[in-house]
Amino acid sequence: MAAAFTIAYAVIYVICTEVNLPLITYHPAIGEIDMLWRPVKRGPAMYWYGWMLTSLIGAVMVAGVATLVPEAWLQRAIAFGSFLAVSYLVVYSIALFIYDQASVEMEFLKWRSLSLVAAALIASILVTAIPREWHKRLWYGWVCVVPIGAIAVLAYYLVPYFTQ
Amino acid sequence: MIFWTTLLIIHGLLALALLGAVTHQAVALWWPVRASAGSFVARFRSVPSTSYVGAIIVLYVATFILGAWIYTQYRFTARLALEQLRFFKTVGIFELKEHLATIGLILLPAYWAYWRKSKSEEYAAARKSVTLLLAILVWSNFLIGHVANNARGMGS
Repeated sequence: MAAAFTIAYAVIYVICTEVNLPLITYHPAIGEIDMLWRPVKRGPAMYWYGWMLTSLIGAVMVAGVATLVPEAWLQRAIAFGSFLAVSYLVVYSIALFIYDQASVEMEFLKWRSLSLVAAALIASILVTAIPREWHKRLWYGWVCVVPIGAIAVLAYYLVPYFTQ
Repeated sequence: MIFWTTLLIIHGLLALALLGAVTHQAVALWWPVRASAGSFVARFRSVPSTSYVGAIIVLYVATFILGAWIYTQYRFTARLALEQLRFFKTVGIFELKEHLATIGLILLPAYWAYWRKSKSEEYAAARKSVTLLLAILVWSNFLIGHVANNARGMGS
């Protein structure tokens, strides 16, 4: 359950920060707290606490469900999710590269949903190709691999700060 | 201002204690002493790793809570000054610190679970990797906090 909580939290936290889904918004200059996302009032608005709370609720729910499902399913689901994330990154990068290099307009290559479908297909094939033995138990290495992946994504989105 | 400076000093001291504890544990786990400890380095490596678990969790949570509290003050004082001074790299690296601190916090349940069964060989690899990752996160946050404080911190 602890492993499922950590893994789920890392994934949900990345989604919350990128899509901006805070449970609360804190306005430090005036000391006010609003529910959900709110724009700045007087002074800046802080969403970090809200992202953590949203992720906490999501991760507790996922961890609860994880205790009910067989370990093999959990292993399969995490493997699928990890392959999906990496595949999406590769497929979408290749699609954008081709779009940039192509001499004709291929707008569809910029569609994220198309890359996501392709990534899901690749992830399904990879999960199926993995030996059955590997899926019997939950691999505890996910507890490090998934948070490291989350850090990589979070760091990538901070790149603009370092290129100004 | 004295209040926030005091909190920042306590936050720094807690972080220092956490840094020492997690480094001790990680080194003892990854580079254990086989023979009797003689030198300073060997004694550093020969500490009983299990005894650090509770202290590390308590120190991490306490440091995190204090940091999250001080962050409210940073957000509308120091950060605005950093942005006006165009210290965007410092602002960016501090943004990374908030994410690293969160990831470190959520590692704690798994860290505790793996160390609770410290005699179990099944969890040995997971224990080692989680402890190392936690140590790296603590070191990163300590250094980032130090850099940010040097840019626009106490008394500035």
